[in-house]
Amino acid sequence: MRKGSIAASLFWLSAGWLIIALLATAFLLTELYSRALDNSLSGTLRFHIETLVDRTLAGDDPTSESIQIGDPRFDRPASGWYWLIRDADGAVLNSSGSMVGMLMPELAGAFDAANLRSEVETDQFGTRVRAIELAATVNDRALRFTATGSLDEILELVDEFRGQTLIVLSAVAIMLAIMSTIVARIALRPIGRLRSAIERVREGETQEVAGDYPAEIAPVAEEVNELLRSNTQIIERARNQVGNLAHGLKTPIAVLRNEASAGKARDSVLGKVVLSEVEKMQQLVATYLDRARIAARSAVVGKKADATHVMLRLARVMEKLNPDKTIAFVRPDASLPWFRGDEGDLEEMAGNLLDNACKWSNGKIGISMLAERSPSGANLLIKIEDDGPGLTEDEAKAVLRRGVRLDEKTPGSGLGLDIVKELVDVYGGSLQLKRSVLGGVLAELRLPGAKIGLGRNLSALSPH
Amino acid sequence: MRILVVEDDANLNRQIKDALTEAGYAVDVAFDGEEGHFLGDTEPYDAVVLDIGLPHMDGLSVLEAWRRAGRAMPVLLLTARDRWSDKVQGIDAGADDYVAKPFHMEEVLARLRALVRRAAGHSSNEITAGPVRLDVKAGKVTVDGQSVKLTSHELRLLSYLMHHKGKVISRTELTEHLYDQDFDRDSNTIEVFVGRLRKKLPEDVIQTVRGLGYQIAED
Repeated sequence: MRKGSIAASLFWLSAGWLIIALLATAFLLTELYSRALDNSLSGTLRFHIETLVDRTLAGDDPTSESIQIGDPRFDRPASGWYWLIRDADGAVLNSSGSMVGMLMPELAGAFDAANLRSEVETDQFGTRVRAIELAATVNDRALRFTATGSLDEILELVDEFRGQTLIVLSAVAIMLAIMSTIVARIALRPIGRLRSAIERVREGETQEVAGDYPAEIAPVAEEVNELLRSNTQIIERARNQVGNLAHGLKTPIAVLRNEASAGKARDSVLGKVVLSEVEKMQQLVATYLDRARIAARSAVVGKKADATHVMLRLARVMEKLNPDKTIAFVRPDASLPWFRGDEGDLEEMAGNLLDNACKWSNGKIGISMLAERSPSGANLLIKIEDDGPGLTEDEAKAVLRRGVRLDEKTPGSGLGLDIVKELVDVYGGSLQLKRSVLGGVLAELRLPGAKIGLGRNLSALSPH
Repeated sequence: MRILVVEDDANLNRQIKDALTEAGYAVDVAFDGEEGHFLGDTEPYDAVVLDIGLPHMDGLSVLEAWRRAGRAMPVLLLTARDRWSDKVQGIDAGADDYVAKPFHMEEVLARLRALVRRAAGHSSNEITAGPVRLDVKAGKVTVDGQSVKLTSHELRLLSYLMHHKGKVISRTELTEHLYDQDFDRDSNTIEVFVGRLRKKLPEDVIQTVRGLGYQIAED
């Protein structure tokens, strides 16, 4: 059922999106910066071309050595900063000092409305340059003024900028990732609370999911409560129907059985047939009613019962039903866990065991209760023992099988232990029959424990 | 011994009545809770067989009403609801024992005998008074080990006196406890039965307490 985690999904989703967004930002910023630098270079170069045009105008000779630009980079060879003046045929008339012994290919593109064209070229030294050329007629002579500036310098600046941008944006990404984790945790906290509340219902501490939840998950809590309520109602209805069915069927069965076993009818063929079929009917009714009850029980959640309270009440009832028997009740610690399940079911299990103990005992019955630690939490151990004839190991194994009775003379359908066994299975507990120090059977009933609830009032329940 | 049977199923009611009558009890019957409650509230019964699921007023309410009014006769609950929580509820309401349907009639008889015996303070099914021994379960009487043949009315009378041995029992009380409500009660018949019993038993077993009634002395 479990598929990933919302927190992890949120983290990876936001982290993935952040990486893409920040990389795109870094790329965009670098591109903008690079363009800004390129534009600035182009502006500078246009300014230098204007200077060249001015000087040419002033000197009246495009080949004059007096044509110079103040920037020393135009005198440094292989600097990437060059200028040259060509005539209309492309012959070089004049050039910067930095162009010593090198050629610069002519630009191929078309001139724009301002008679300018711009291109990126690579010089003989492998330096990439921005070249701008102006076609102008100076002193009635058509000339082309070209100026270049090193693009590599710009690219170096761009690389440096890109490195710094990545560092800054990585820091931003880390901060955002931490923030999104924290936000996810905070946002998911109500889900954690809801989980704990549902767990408390399962543990039997509360009957419904309690607490206030944000608008997004409040409906979930309400639906869970509605489900619990309708579940309880269905079980309650099923139990009532089972009870009604039991009452409805058992009285006619009792009538038929008594009629068939009374007086002359007992010895007639009809009486015998009716009696034998009635016994079968009664077994079926008892077996399937118990199954129906157990099936209805297994869906009960959120219930717990004070085992001490239940055992004291049962002890009191058994003493009334068996005034010739003495029940020694060892009062457990106040820290004894409660039974995680339905009180009626605990009564059914312990009641049947106690009933068996009373049937077989010669006068003494003992009840004690302990808490046991187990990997799944605290378990409840209920011990019921008697001073009757007891069972051998093989007999104990035999009685724990379904429907087995060792003595047909003792009243009972043999279903008592079956009900106990089925209920023990429903609750994931265990039942063991051992030899008691009193001489008879020691029944050890292990059941899941629950936290102690409210309303324990033992003083009013003492069997003595 | 006089028993009240409150059961709404007419057939079952008849069967229990027949079985109890055969066992030597005087039996009154009621078919719903209200009628049962009225009888139990006004007539002196030695025990009651009470069904839980009854029309008009359920068995547990009837039982609680009796106990609130101080009626202490032993009550045997009869019901189809045989969960322990139902049993606990029944005992808490004041029942003394419990039989789940469908039952064997012998079980009802045995439980009733035990309840009547316990209510009278006897721990065994055999009650003795001097040489007289009454086996409550078998309905047999012996004197010095010799079986004595008694009619059902004689047995009822002796059984009641022996259950309450040591106590002086008035003729009215005997009449109330030996005959059901439909019987034409005439306390003179008691004298006739006492006379017959005295002939069959050692003479001094049943003593007359002048002006008060009869008594079987404690050993």
